[in-house]
Amino acid sequence: MRDARSLANLMLLPSGLILVAFFLLPVSYFFVVSFWRVRSYKLQADATLDQYVEVFTGYWVPLLYTFAVALAIALAVTLIAFGFAFYCRFRAGRYGMPLLFLALLTLFGGYLTKIYTWKTILGAEGILNSALMLTGLTDAPITAFLFNPVAVVITLAHYTLPIAILPIFGSLRGIDEVPLDAARDLGAGPCRSFRDVVLPQAWPGLVTAFALTFLFAAGDYVTPMLVGGPNTSMIGVFIQSQFGHRVDAPLGSAMSFTVIALSLAVILGFAGTTRYFTRVR
Amino acid sequence: MRRGGILWHGFAGLVLLFMLTPLFILVLFCFSRNALLSFPIAGFTLDWFRKLFEHPQFWPSLRNSLIITVTVGVVSTVAGTMAALATARLRRAWSISLTLLVTLPVMLPPLMLGVALLSYFASIGMRLGLPTVIMSHLVFTQPFVVAIVAARMASFDHAAVESARDLGASRLRAFFNVTLPIIRPSVIGAALIAMALSLDDFVVTLFTIGGGSTLPIFMWGMLRKGVDPTINVIAVLLMLLSIGISLVGLRATRYRG
Repeated sequence: MRDARSLANLMLLPSGLILVAFFLLPVSYFFVVSFWRVRSYKLQADATLDQYVEVFTGYWVPLLYTFAVALAIALAVTLIAFGFAFYCRFRAGRYGMPLLFLALLTLFGGYLTKIYTWKTILGAEGILNSALMLTGLTDAPITAFLFNPVAVVITLAHYTLPIAILPIFGSLRGIDEVPLDAARDLGAGPCRSFRDVVLPQAWPGLVTAFALTFLFAAGDYVTPMLVGGPNTSMIGVFIQSQFGHRVDAPLGSAMSFTVIALSLAVILGFAGTTRYFTRVR
Repeated sequence: MRRGGILWHGFAGLVLLFMLTPLFILVLFCFSRNALLSFPIAGFTLDWFRKLFEHPQFWPSLRNSLIITVTVGVVSTVAGTMAALATARLRRAWSISLTLLVTLPVMLPPLMLGVALLSYFASIGMRLGLPTVIMSHLVFTQPFVVAIVAARMASFDHAAVESARDLGASRLRAFFNVTLPIIRPSVIGAALIAMALSLDDFVVTLFTIGGGSTLPIFMWGMLRKGVDPTINVIAVLLMLLSIGISLVGLRATRYRG
């Protein structure tokens, strides 16, 4: 028995090393840095909250904007992904699996690729405008498609949709036909069985989908940089620039941990609210 | 439950259209003669492919991408599978908390992981390059391997391994002759997901590579200059590579029956 335990420990070693050396240590160090300061371009150990004060006083506009955009994306994507997964599981019959497969195929689309594609579609000389002009719907290019919050929402929604469908479908797949039939036999209408059988079981998948989508949107900077335009800078753009030409790691670190802490609060809020509405009554 | 009405079909159709059309357009404009990505299409050509293959930065980027992807795939699959097997032997509460701990990195947005690793490597005086990229990719690929293999181990019947051990097989032999053949499809599937994630990663790579280039980094350099059909070709090549990886994996799983 002791032999087996030491073997288990040994087998956990490589994985644990990767986790400690390239995740826990870097992230802890990075967290400590948020209490340091930069003096004449050099990092100096300190114990100051100045960076956090700076984040909330100097960057509350992009912070607020980021959370509004991320919330819009996460809610819309979770809802659409749930609808699609629900359709594939319960309403599409034998076409359910092929349709799901088609949707998940877009996981191969690639991150930069999808952002770039939306840029080419929405641009002033882009695909949408040229198609509209070709069909005679408009006679001058519409510049309003690109470089605005809507373009950011569309692009990020397109990227995160298959990622959100996956966990929701996973939780819907586990729903047995038996309780559904039983609910119907006992006289429950489709709404009732949806609320009392489907939603409670779908809840973990919904929370996972929301969390993944929200964190991804809140932490992204490439999408706002490429399709978001100059007046719509999300906090990621500012974080990234602290490690480019500005070189202010403490500020970048404080921004990062502020985003992560607030994101976790939003995710817990979502989980709590939806648990209340999806609990078995 | 009853089958869907017209509204349901319409909704699902719109979702699929939204998801698939951009990728269809991307592929279409690889072959378009237009230098701008717009309609009408003047004709079809393979010039953009030639232009890409003649680009001096393309082949080194492809080479780096392949080195990183294959190394990350092998290392994270071996480490992750070992961890999943070890947690399968532990008590339930322990195995759940360990699995949660290992999958923690997935919750961190790539930007934060990237800048944290950049600061860390700088503080310990590690020079940035392909090794630092590989180390960084292990962090976010390993959780998927652990999760997939652990899910398989949840329904694993340990009796077969125990009888092999009772019949005198060493632990190693029991693993290679009994456990591995049973869980092989999951392990290969996990390796493929790890490789696809590594191949596609841009953000973490950008912060940890220093001066070098991979296919996504090369693509980034080009798309900052503007829209160009050669970018479509890189994008499609990346897509074909990740689909190719999956097909090879599917074959490998079928091959062993």
